[in-house]
Order: sequence, then C-alpha cells, then structure tokens
Amino acid sequence: MGIETENKEIEIGIRENAKKLLSEKQVDVVIGYSEGTVPLSSTPIIIRKEEDVDKLVWNNLCYINIARYLAPLMPQLCDSEGNSLKIGIVAKGCVGRAVNILATEKQVNLENIKMIGFNCNGNVNRSRIDLEIGEKEILEILIVDNDIIVKGKDWEQKFPYDEYINELCKVCQVKSPSATAESCVGECQELESIHDEFADVAEFETKSAEEKWAYIKEALEPCTLCYSCRQACPVCYCNLCFVDQNLPVWFGKTTELTDVIIFHLIRAFHLAGRCVACGACSSVCPVGIDLNIITRKLEEIVKKRYNFTSGLSAETVPPMMDFSMDDEEEFMLEED
Amino acid sequence: MEEKILKKDEIGKLYSEFGSEYNFYAPVKKKGNIVFEKIENPDDIKLDYLNSRIPPKSILFPQSEVLFEYSLDEKDVEITDRQDLDEKYMILGIRPCDAYSYVLFANFFSSHGNWKDEIYLKKKENTTLIGIGCNTPRTTCFCTSVGGNPFNKENMDVFLRDLGETYLVEAISDKGKEIVKKLSWLSDANDKDVKKSQELAKQAEESIVTKMDVDKIVNTLETSFDHPVWDEISEVCIGCGSCSYLCPTCTCFDVIDETDQYEHKGRRIRIWDTCQSCLYTLETSGHNPRDTKIQRCRNRIMHKFSYYPTNYDLLGCVGCGRCIMVCPANNDLRDHLRKIEKIEKKEENVVV
Repeated sequence: MGIETENKEIEIGIRENAKKLLSEKQVDVVIGYSEGTVPLSSTPIIIRKEEDVDKLVWNNLCYINIARYLAPLMPQLCDSEGNSLKIGIVAKGCVGRAVNILATEKQVNLENIKMIGFNCNGNVNRSRIDLEIGEKEILEILIVDNDIIVKGKDWEQKFPYDEYINELCKVCQVKSPSATAESCVGECQELESIHDEFADVAEFETKSAEEKWAYIKEALEPCTLCYSCRQACPVCYCNLCFVDQNLPVWFGKTTELTDVIIFHLIRAFHLAGRCVACGACSSVCPVGIDLNIITRKLEEIVKKRYNFTSGLSAETVPPMMDFSMDDEEEFMLEED
Repeated sequence: MEEKILKKDEIGKLYSEFGSEYNFYAPVKKKGNIVFEKIENPDDIKLDYLNSRIPPKSILFPQSEVLFEYSLDEKDVEITDRQDLDEKYMILGIRPCDAYSYVLFANFFSSHGNWKDEIYLKKKENTTLIGIGCNTPRTTCFCTSVGGNPFNKENMDVFLRDLGETYLVEAISDKGKEIVKKLSWLSDANDKDVKKSQELAKQAEESIVTKMDVDKIVNTLETSFDHPVWDEISEVCIGCGSCSYLCPTCTCFDVIDETDQYEHKGRRIRIWDTCQSCLYTLETSGHNPRDTKIQRCRNRIMHKFSYYPTNYDLLGCVGCGRCIMVCPANNDLRDHLRKIEKIEKKEENVVV
C-alpha cells in the first residue's frame, strides 16, 4: 500500500473516531491537525462540533506534538471555571507517549483524555527539503505513491518518502499510542516493551570528542534562542524554565556560544527518560537546528541502564522519578 | 542617462571598491539559510534570494550588543563607552521591506521624549544601503497592503534592479550619488534596460496575491481590545518567540549587566526580547499584566497595527511574511488580519 493510500485511510479513521467521540458526548473537543496555510506545514486545530471533523487531516506534515497543549492546559481547553474539558486527541505514537509521560508526572488526568490512536507512517523532514530546494518558493507538497512531490512555479522535484522523513521517524518503534486502559480508541497497540537498535547513536560515537564538540558547536551557531524547541516540546512544561530564572540569573542570556550551548545541553539532560522522540523540537526550529542525536543518546542510556522506554505506559514510574537502594552508582567514582 | 549598468560578475568589484572603507554586509547562504553577513569573500554574495531568514535588522541591532563596559572598585565605577560608532556600514542587497524597517527602528530609537539612542542612530547615520528590487515576492508577502512595494526605492541610497544578466543601478540619495560617482567603470544604461526594469516591477507587484484593507484593520482594532477574536487567534500559538525575533520591525530588548566579581569589571548588554515571553511584562511585585497567551498574542498584533499607527502615524509591519513562514504552529498572521478585517466596528465601544 502506498503512503498516499495509507494517509487516506488514517484520515478517514481519525474523522470517524472524532465524530463518534463528539456525537456520543464522550469528549467536548478534539485536538488534531488541519491543513496548513503554507506548504510543508499543518495547523493544530480544536474541533468543537461534529460537522467540523472533516477539517482534521493526516498528511505527514503533522510535526507538532499536540500533547503540548495539555500541559499546561491551554485556556481554550478549560470550561468557564477553569476545569479541564473532556478532550479527544489525535494521537500518533509519540503524542501517545507524551500523554503517558504527562500522566505519570501528574500533569494530566487520563480520565479527561481520549486518545484517537492510529499507526503513524512518519513525518516529512521539512528542514531537509527546505534546504535542498534552496531559494525557490515551494507552492505545493503532495505525497504520490511513495514519493514526496514538491512543486513550485514551473518546477517540480521528487523525493523518495522513506529517505526524506524525519531521522527519528526512521528509527521509531512506537507507531501508535499504547492501549492504555480506557483512554484509547482507534488503532492502539499493546506496547509493553520495545527493542531499539540505536545504530544512529553508535555511528555518532565513532567520532572523536573534538569532532563531536565541533558538530554541536556548528549545529548551534545559528540559534536565536527563540525557544521554539522548548515551547514545542510536549514534556517541557515547567512554570518557569531555568533559562528564564532572573532572581538570580542562572545562565547568561546572550547568543554567545557558551550561553546557547548551556541552554540546549541542559534542556536535553532534563529530557533523560522523558523525551518521546517526536522530533517536534527540530521540526519547528526556524533556523533548522537538529540536535536529536543527544536525546537519542540519553534514550539509549536509559534503555540500557533501566530497560525503560518513555511513554509506553501511564503506570510505570520513569527511572528519573524513582530510586532504588540497589541503584548502581559506579559513575560517582569511575572515570570514563 | 542617469541609470547605470552593473554586470553580475562585477559584484565583487563593489566589494573591492568599498570593502576596506565600510563594514560591507550582504546576503550569503549559510547552512541553507540566507543571512546578512560581513563579507570577507565577495564570491559568497548571493543576491538572487527570496528573503533572508533572519532579517537584516540584526546588522545595526544585533541580538546581543554590548552597550558599554565598566570596571568598578568599592569607591568608583569607570565606564568605557563604545569606540566603534564612527565605523561605516554598507549593506548590499537589502529588500525594500527590510529597508523600511530601518526607518521604523530609527523612529523607535529617537521618539522617546528628548532621549535618543546614540548607539543605534549613529550606526544608522553611517550606513549606506544598496538595495535591490524584489522580482519574485513569495505568496506570503503582502508589502503592497502595508504601504510598501517590491520595488520601493524610497529608503535606499542606491537601488539595483535585477535584469537577468545585469543590474540596473540608480542613485537615490545624495550619499548614493557619491557612491555611484565613485564607480566610474559602470556603463550607461539605455532605454531598453529601464523599460525592462519597469516591466519586472509591474510583474512583481501583480504577483502579490495577499491583499488586505489595512486601514480598516487599524480602525477596527481601536475598538476590538476585548473581542473574542483573540481567543481564536491565540488558540494554537505555542508561545515561542520566533515570530518576533525574526520580525524586521520588532525592536524590543532587555538590558542585563554581566559582572565579573573576580576581575571587578563587567559589561552592559542589550539583548532582543519578545512580548511573547511570559517574563516580558512580569513586574517586580510578581504581578504580570499580560500573563496569558491570549494577551500576548493580542499585543503583537495591536502593537504593529494599532499602537504604532496611533502613536507614530506609521504601520509597524512591512509585510515581509517572515512570521508566517517560521511559525511552528502555522499560526498565520494573514488569517488573523482577515478575521479582524471582518469584525463589524461598534461605535459605542470607542474609548475616548
């Protein structure tokens, strides 16, 4: 089955489930994706009425992790008293993972949430396509069979789908949300454990320390500290981010490399055992920064050390929220 | 004929002519993005671009800029002012929309009572703009709705028009006339060149598809502060600052002191700030008059399309469409303005 056909089926499934949830009053609203107003984009949308469900789309450009609207809960998802509405959420695998993480961290109450699950077939790597097209305006994106067709005025370029999806989608093992009791409708799967190869991390690790450092420095050079990566992250929900602390100022606020690197590395550390590998941070970056290799490394460490993959269930306490007297602490003394 | 012709392969000669006298900036391609950078190798200059990702406001108003340095002991503080304000800048290849943003900046930095921002204004005074017409506006561009034009040469010193193989060169200001005079090697343009440039300008203007009645929007906004439209507009905003950081007219900044306690010295730095940040209006008391996303999204639009026209009789938007291109949630300014355009103005709500 071609991607195009798959998308159509997914889209129909999403709309049917959304319609059912709304008509049966199981939810008050459904958050999902709608067609974007510029190519290579989509707009998150809140559907309130049954007749609007046809605005929901699935087109491989749905890169925002819409779980980020749940914590902190956006005002449009609350009733007049400030209590959470019953929310249906269109959930690809990584949205499902984020909802579970938010539930284990007591940021959302799963009783108010219905996940509309489906088997995600990936998201287009928009920065890469943008980069390769260069200074020509993209007017239209189509998925035909297994190709991404990019059209402009008097030109057309074809990209093989499998090659031009997000790097994280290429290694993704959690295509749908887990069938967490009661919260899942549609195609949700049992995901007790998954195996992940981390070949991408192993490849990066063949670089020398200097090469890795050079890679990070080069990647971060264009950063404007607009914090869209943090804002797009479904699990970055702190009331006050460490970089925004100003009494006292914890970190420098300039765009000098030291300050920029501190923000990005510390944000990455805060995601250990929490990152759901959705790639929203790199997809939304206005200057195309992609440092997912760092969160992948953290994912690998957590997997190897604790046999834990974030967001597979809403019950298992993530390792960084837990401790056991038997935890190994060899890193306290040993040098690498 | 006053207009001259510059061959495309002679762009490097501009740099060799002025590169030593001026800090010579031009668009270059860097990791896929077009950015304005100080040129070291004229081969890097790229003038056939759509628009730069980061606006050239960053040349005269860098994201972080040291205002002065200081040393201090228990008794005294000694301030070292900037020594580089007499340096000259030449910016090649700036688009009309971005050039207009410099006018807004100069206005902002000189219109607060008697206080003038010496640092910005001096740099602006020492800047020469060699702008270029915009042959291919994007579908997200709407400069013609906000009083601009893809071939507006008003705010330039010298204006180039891309004719395919060559550039038509026109001196606009006195400063520009001096510059063109120095380029004695330029050949004269003929009527055909001028005619071609006029056709290109017409085509460019006609290719702009987004059209809005901005006067109506400005007028409607006067009475729409509490309108429910803001709930809708802010709905999917994720609260990052990319729209304002990459906006050529956003002037807001924060000021911080970085003190080195051991060396007894420090520097005062001006850093871009954004009204989309929750800290932006946070007061010392802990009160925040704009503590929700709805209020912050409203402020961005109000500032550009209501407060600016009211306070300065200018529009605070140049129609470059950058915020539309970069918004992570595709929260499209054009849609917002169209929604506002449709609001029926209620006269009784006018605040006098």
